[in-house]
Amino acid sequence: MREDDQDAADVARVIAGDLNAFEGIVLRWQCRLVTMAWRFCRDRAAAEDMAQEVLLKTFRSLATFRGESAFSTWITAIALNTCRSRLRAEGQPLLSLDPARVFRNESSSFREIDERERAEAVRRAVLTLPERYREAILLYYFEEKDLAESARVLGVPEGTLKARLHRGRELLRARCANLDPLAPDVVAVTEER
Amino acid sequence: MTQDNLDRILSSDDVLEPSSGFAGNVMEAVRRQAAAPATPAFPWVRFALGLAASCGMAATGGLFVLRFQTELVAAFSPLAAVVPELGYAAAASLVGLAFISLPRLFSRD
Repeated sequence: MREDDQDAADVARVIAGDLNAFEGIVLRWQCRLVTMAWRFCRDRAAAEDMAQEVLLKTFRSLATFRGESAFSTWITAIALNTCRSRLRAEGQPLLSLDPARVFRNESSSFREIDERERAEAVRRAVLTLPERYREAILLYYFEEKDLAESARVLGVPEGTLKARLHRGRELLRARCANLDPLAPDVVAVTEER
Repeated sequence: MTQDNLDRILSSDDVLEPSSGFAGNVMEAVRRQAAAPATPAFPWVRFALGLAASCGMAATGGLFVLRFQTELVAAFSPLAAVVPELGYAAAASLVGLAFISLPRLFSRD
């Protein structure tokens, strides 16, 4: 049975009063939801908390799910709204981000920053983007570059999403310029030492 | 940083496994929620009745004022002679009071 069909079957059972059927939905979706929340905050405890809230909201709203969109689109949209509301209410997590500043204080040179640290700094830099670009980028890559599905979850036309992705990547490149080992700023700071 | 580098980094972000008790905690919260008494639904029928009655009353009042404008002015003329706006203010207050009491009347159990 396909995952979509399993979700639909479990939804029908929960609506019919079989509470235990919701466990199937939890088990199938927990990893995806925790991962999505993690990408929005880069904090494990907060991510699990958000994912639990998403699943509870899903449970409360199951009766209103009419199957007009796929269950996956619906639950991802709930997750997006939950992450958005949380971050608006609690503010962005404090990020040891600003890569230039962080790495300037390192005793090692920029060239020694390994690929993993650089990648993590770039991912955290995404969280400093304005909301519309941040959500577009996070969701697009979370959905494995499925433009149509990302646009459906965000509730915007594909063209709008493309424009946001383009602008978001430009901003990101500017913010991550110092992470490039050959960037002029990097070379200058390295030479100072 | 090139566009390709950005794309590669963002495409290869980690997948996070939830902690071992996560699903159990969620199901416990779901069961608690299912056991809790349901919150009372919004009384849409009463709300609609109240709204319809208020609209009807407003329309009737408006027509009444338009039709009997002269008589109304004449009725309030003793007051109007003293303070011209007083008559209108009193009438508006009475109409306002009637509007306030109407929803209360409908929402009474």
